[in-house]
Amino acid sequence: MPQESPAVEVENLRKEFLAEGLSSPLMNRGATGRTSGVALQNLKVYHQLVAVDDVSFVMHRGEAFGFLGPNGAGKSTIVKIITGLVKPTSGTVRVLGRPVDDLEMRRKVGYLPELPNFHRWLRTREFLEFHGRLYGLHGATLAKRCAEVLVLVGLEGREQQKLGAFSKGMLQRIGLAQALLNRPELIILDEPVSGLDPVGQSDMRNILLRLKAEGTSVFLNSHQLVDVEMICDRVAIINRGKLLKIGPPQSLFDEPLTVELHVDRVSDELLRHLGSLSLAVRQVEDKPSHLLVEVQNEEQAADIAAGVHDCGARLYMMIPHGRSLEDLFLRTIGALRHDQ
Amino acid sequence: MLLIARFTFKEVIRRRLFLAVLLLSIFMLGGFALLFNYAVDHTRVPAGIDPQLYSSALGIFAIVPIIWLAYLLSSFMTIIMAAGMISGEVEAGTFVVMVPKPLRRYEIVFGKWLCHNLILGTYTALLFFGFTAIIYWRTGYWPEQALNAVGMLELGVLVLLALMTLSSALMPTTVNGAIALVLFISAQIVNVILYIVQIIAPDKVQTFRDISIVINLVMPTDALWHGSSYYLTPTTALNVLQQFSMRSPFVGTEPAPLAMIIWAVIYCVVLPMGAAWFFQRRDL
Repeated sequence: MPQESPAVEVENLRKEFLAEGLSSPLMNRGATGRTSGVALQNLKVYHQLVAVDDVSFVMHRGEAFGFLGPNGAGKSTIVKIITGLVKPTSGTVRVLGRPVDDLEMRRKVGYLPELPNFHRWLRTREFLEFHGRLYGLHGATLAKRCAEVLVLVGLEGREQQKLGAFSKGMLQRIGLAQALLNRPELIILDEPVSGLDPVGQSDMRNILLRLKAEGTSVFLNSHQLVDVEMICDRVAIINRGKLLKIGPPQSLFDEPLTVELHVDRVSDELLRHLGSLSLAVRQVEDKPSHLLVEVQNEEQAADIAAGVHDCGARLYMMIPHGRSLEDLFLRTIGALRHDQ
Repeated sequence: MLLIARFTFKEVIRRRLFLAVLLLSIFMLGGFALLFNYAVDHTRVPAGIDPQLYSSALGIFAIVPIIWLAYLLSSFMTIIMAAGMISGEVEAGTFVVMVPKPLRRYEIVFGKWLCHNLILGTYTALLFFGFTAIIYWRTGYWPEQALNAVGMLELGVLVLLALMTLSSALMPTTVNGAIALVLFISAQIVNVILYIVQIIAPDKVQTFRDISIVINLVMPTDALWHGSSYYLTPTTALNVLQQFSMRSPFVGTEPAPLAMIIWAVIYCVVLPMGAAWFFQRRDL
C-alpha cells in the first residue's frame, strides 16, 4: 500500500515582499537580517522584506499542528501561501500531496482566515450555499450540509439573518461553518478564537477536538497557547520568518519538571535519597514539610513518590508545577530577542 | 465562472446602487418624454413647411444630443459600477475566503466581467431605445441604422469596462476610478481641442490629429461615439455636415474606421485577459 502523503509539506519556503520605506542606518547595516537592498540616504526606497526565510516542515495526516509566533513572525504569510493566497518567492508547498493550486486538493481543504470579512449583504443561508457551490455541492446534499454545519457552530435558526447584523463572534462561527461545508480532510484555521467570548472559545475548542478525533488534520495558527497545547499533537514556533522549534509540546520542554512534595517530616536521609533519585532537591521557605524536587520527566516523578515511602515518610501531597507551552514560547522568543 | 457571474448579479441587485440608478434613469426617461412632448406640442411650424417634415427635423436635431447624454450616463455608470469590481473585494478582504476554494482566479475575473457586461449592456440598450422611442413617438424619426448606432455605443461600454477590469485587478478602487474618468474625459476633450485648433490654427491640425489618434487608441470610447452618432444621423443631414471640412467634437460625419472597430474588439478581449493574468499572480 502506498504511503499516504503528508497533510502539508513545506520545503525551503521563502517569501520576500517589496516594502516601501525611508533609508535608515539599521537597513544599511542589515542588522535585523530581514532586509536587503540598496539604501540611499534620506530617500524613499523600496527594499525586500523577508517575511519567510527558508522554512521547512511537514504536517502529518490526522494530526493537529499548532503554529506559534509573535505578531509579524510570518505565520499568516505561511498560512496564506499554503492556501494559495500568496505566491512564495521560492520553495515548494504541497498540501495533501498536491500543489497548492490543485483544484481536487482544494475540494478537501477548509480554511478560516483571521478576522474574516464576508459579503455582509448575504443572508446566512445564501452565504453557505454560495460557498458550498464553490466546493461543488448542489441540491439536497448542499441543503443538508448547510443545516448540519449551522448546528455544529451553534447558529441554527439564523438562516435568514444577514451577515451584516452578525457580531464578531458570530462571524467567526459562520466562517468556521463555511470551512466545514466540504467535510475537509485538512482544516486550516488562522486565529480561530479571536473575537469569541469564553463560551465561544470553549465551543471552538470542542469542535476542533471533535474534528481531530474524527481524523481531520487540523492546522491551527493561534495566539491562544492554551488551546494549542490542549489540541495540538505538534507545534512549530516561528519568529522573524524563521522556524525556531518544532515537535510535540512535551518534547520541546528543555527544562526539568518541578514537583512539590508535602510530607509528614523531612529527614536528612529523605533529602539524600531524593537527591540521588532527582536532579535537585530543596526545601520550601517557611514550609518545613514541603520539598521542591526537580526531575527530568513524569517517570522519575513516580520514583520520587516511591522513594518517600522507602524512607518511611508519609506523602500527603505531590503537586507537579506546570511547564506550559506559554512559558516555552515566551522563553524561546525571549531568548532570541536577548541574543539580538 | 457562471456561479461568480450569478453571485455578482445578486450583489449588484442587493446593493441597490444599480436599482437606484435604473429607477432614476426611468424617471429621467419619463421626464424627458413629458418635456419633449410639451416642446413638440408648442413648436410653431414655420409657414410653408410640411409639419411632418418639420417634426422629423426636430427628431433629427434632438437625437444626437440626447443619445450623447445616454452615452455619458452609461459610461459613468460603467465607471461607478466597475471601479471596485476586483479591487473592492481585495480591499474588503472578501476574496480571502473565496480564492482558496476550488476555482481558478480567472473564473472570478471573467465571472465578474461577464455580469457587468450583461448589466451595463442591457442598461445602455434600455437608455438608447428608451430615448429613441420617445423621439420617434413625437416626431416620427427613427434612425435607419439604429442597430449599428447602439452597437457602437455597446462597444464603447465594453471598451471602458475592459479598461476598468484590468485596472481593477492592478490598482485600488479610487485610483482605478480616477484613471478611467480622466482617460474617458481626455478622449472627449482632445476632440474639442482639435475642433478649436481647426478654427484658430489650421496649420497645426495634423499634430493634434496625431495626438487624437493616440488618445483614441488608449481610450477608444469617443471614437466609437462618433461612429454611433454617424449612424444616428440621416444621410441628408450628413451630407450637409460633410460640406464643412471641419471635424465636429460631438458628431461623426463618417463611420468609425474598420481598423478602430477591430482595435476596440481586441481591446475588449485582451484587457480582461490581462486582468485575469495579473490577478492570477498577485498576492492577496
